[in-house]
Amino acid sequence: MSLVAAVDAQTLVDAVGLGAVYALMAVGIGLVFGVLRLVNFAYGQLVMAGAYTLAFTSAWPAAASIGACFAVVLALSLALERSVFRPLRTQSPAVMLVTTFAIAFLLQSVALVLDVRDGTIGEAARSLGGLNQAVSVGGVDVRKVTIVAVVVAATALGLLALLLARTTIGLHMRAAAADFRTARLLGVQADRVIGLAVLLSGLLAATVAVILTVQSPLVAPDFALKETIFVLVGVVVGGLDRLWTATLGGFAIGFASGVINGALPTDKTVFLPSAVFALVILVLLLRPAGLFARGPAVERV
Amino acid sequence: MKRVDTALGLLVPAILVVIVGVLAATASRANEIHYLSALVAVAMVVAIYVFVGNSGVLSFGQISFVAVGAFAAGVLTVPSQSKSFVLPDLFPFLRDTTVGNLASLGIAAAVGGAFAFLVGMPLMRLSGLAAGIATFAVLEVTHNLLREWTSIGPGATTLSLVPETTDALQATLGALAVVLVAWLYGLSRPGRLLRATREDAAAAQAVGVSVHRQRLGAFTLSGVLAGFAGGLYVHMLGSITTEQVYLELTFLTLAMLVVGGIASLWGAVVGALAVSGLDSLLAKAEDGSFVLDAPSGTRLVVVGAMMALVLVLRPAGITGGRELSLPRKMSE
Amino acid sequence: MSEPLLELEGVEVRYGTVSALHDLSFAVAPGEIVGLIGPNGAGKSTTLHAVMGALPLHAGSIRLAGRPLAGHAPEQVARAGIALVPEGRRIYGGFSVDENLRLGLAARQDEGADEALAEVLSLFPVLAEYRRRPAGTLSGGQQQQLAIGRALVAGPRLLLLDEPSLGLAPAVVDTVFAALATIRERGVTVLLVEQRARRTVAFCDRTHVLANGLLRTTLAPADADDTRALVAAYLA
Repeated sequence: MSLVAAVDAQTLVDAVGLGAVYALMAVGIGLVFGVLRLVNFAYGQLVMAGAYTLAFTSAWPAAASIGACFAVVLALSLALERSVFRPLRTQSPAVMLVTTFAIAFLLQSVALVLDVRDGTIGEAARSLGGLNQAVSVGGVDVRKVTIVAVVVAATALGLLALLLARTTIGLHMRAAAADFRTARLLGVQADRVIGLAVLLSGLLAATVAVILTVQSPLVAPDFALKETIFVLVGVVVGGLDRLWTATLGGFAIGFASGVINGALPTDKTVFLPSAVFALVILVLLLRPAGLFARGPAVERV
Repeated sequence: MKRVDTALGLLVPAILVVIVGVLAATASRANEIHYLSALVAVAMVVAIYVFVGNSGVLSFGQISFVAVGAFAAGVLTVPSQSKSFVLPDLFPFLRDTTVGNLASLGIAAAVGGAFAFLVGMPLMRLSGLAAGIATFAVLEVTHNLLREWTSIGPGATTLSLVPETTDALQATLGALAVVLVAWLYGLSRPGRLLRATREDAAAAQAVGVSVHRQRLGAFTLSGVLAGFAGGLYVHMLGSITTEQVYLELTFLTLAMLVVGGIASLWGAVVGALAVSGLDSLLAKAEDGSFVLDAPSGTRLVVVGAMMALVLVLRPAGITGGRELSLPRKMSE
Repeated sequence: MSEPLLELEGVEVRYGTVSALHDLSFAVAPGEIVGLIGPNGAGKSTTLHAVMGALPLHAGSIRLAGRPLAGHAPEQVARAGIALVPEGRRIYGGFSVDENLRLGLAARQDEGADEALAEVLSLFPVLAEYRRRPAGTLSGGQQQQLAIGRALVAGPRLLLLDEPSLGLAPAVVDTVFAALATIRERGVTVLLVEQRARRTVAFCDRTHVLANGLLRTTLAPADADDTRALVAAYLA
């Protein structure tokens, strides 16, 4: 009873906002997994790089700053694909996870070295700061950035769904995700499909960087690390094999975190990670292939 | 031939450990900590190897057992007169109990093992990606609980005043003990059965091997050894924080295992010593006491780069994933 | 023969240290239907995959109309004009029949996509009927037709088929072979890998017998009823 009472409209709104951001990241991770079978632990570092770019260019006009953010993130995505993902294609998912784990640490440490100002930087693009203010909608305080996040997430996902369902390259991507070998034998160009997945994934990371820096302007080397961990876990829990289950998993863990956060008594909210991860373990035990997956898990390792 | 190879599998790592131990004993005060770290790293990495190497199942959670071992040993050895000031919220039985060095190591091992068994019971049914994520979740839960639950430990503050009883002798003997246990396990029937499941779980199951039971056994043993290593660790540092037994240590120890060679005992030892050595060199470069001068954070960059390079170019690690053997003649 | 369309010369393919194909040499002239039969594990599938560039050659060469295929990725070989109907069909069960066919267009170099689709649908009317259905709901025989159709929409010069009759009822097999005859009439060269020795030998212009990665002998349609010759070829 008390749990239900504690979860009020405010909590739900915030939870949906969080879920939306996580969903965007989940798609980014899911797209690359679909075509490369690679779980990118370093995805958060792309977001971090975007955030740093925004912070370093915070004196620029908003549009230019965001443009720079997108450019840097895309460049980094493509560089990673070339140098790390491509050679790793034949390894097992677990090896790939460990390698991208290493890359994540590597990039984080590079940021630590380069970040001369002691690990924290000041504000993100100032003109976007206004989005962090709230409007009151029916007695609930909704921050503008939450609305933006939900709208952007819905739009991005909608466009992506259209791309995948209606275009030729989308068809090729879906085929590559389902059975790459056969797709290539039919003439689907591997490089193009992978390149597009990485590109889209980068665009999403940059978008998330913009949204997150509005919500929390202080950028440090571990920016978005916590979110990445949650999303990765959520994606696997949702079901990594298909894009929509991965996305749903990402949204679900974000939403669940938000709800649990609201439901926990204030002095116990520090235990949020324990609650969420304990839930994750439970779900994985019951459905190792993923919450929304069809059929049993196929052992890859 | 086989007998000699098996003995070599223990002797070579053991000799390496002893060499480092001697270096630790004869080193200057400033350098001693680096050799001790290397030995404690050996203990941790071998503990991880016992499970990950033999079962082929990826686990991000072994450092949880190092953590509980370290905190258990630490909390129980803080001198009783200071304890109630430093850790006011502790459970009474923790506050009122103080044990000696060896006992604390034993308790650390026991706590690590018990926790591993508890966690492993449900989790050992999983493999592959699900196992990796689930064990990662265990790491997260452990970190969160240790950090926030002030009844069992210092929470977010540093636990200090822990007796620094891990000297060269304790570190060397400790590392040797872990290596020996790992070697014995590798030779034992459960060890061999587990390696059979690593090669082909379905086939092993078909001939009656209980995959779950063997994995749980290794996981628990790994927990015992990791807890013990945690005890060595806290007694080496004289203090401990939750961040010291969390992501960075998980990354470092996994890097050591991967670089050395994930599927062999001596790979674990070589990896631990090699990466430890590099890490120490870089740490000295970072604070300017070495020939090179490097900005802070460089060591993780280099270790990360090394780990990534090894995984991309030579996934079997330095030792090539095989156990030690004398060179064979061409005709054999 | 005049300029062969496909030529294998001294081809050796290895899995690790084991030779799956050893010194394999044969050619297929334009407009021919050539068969490739042999016991399980003989290397028939391996041959087709090697032609598609999905397997690296340890030695030897494979040429399409004189041009070597070595080093090309499978998608490039597909675009050069070779289409493979894989063993087990490997159609995308979750996609519609229409989407499966459109996937086949990926290898198509010129503009005639719509005509190609129309042609395939007239060749296999059942595909037109089930166009919007998920491909996974089709029967085995219908999926086989889809797999062939998918390969044909690319407008290939050479069609490779890997055991198309596998798991199909005899009546359905008739349909498949009839379709192959029509395909040949439309000017597509065919290399057919099959388990059904007698039927294949009777149908193809020539049939090579492969065993243990080696080419044993070549049979003509006249040999189809010669059981002794067939058995001898398999057990050589």
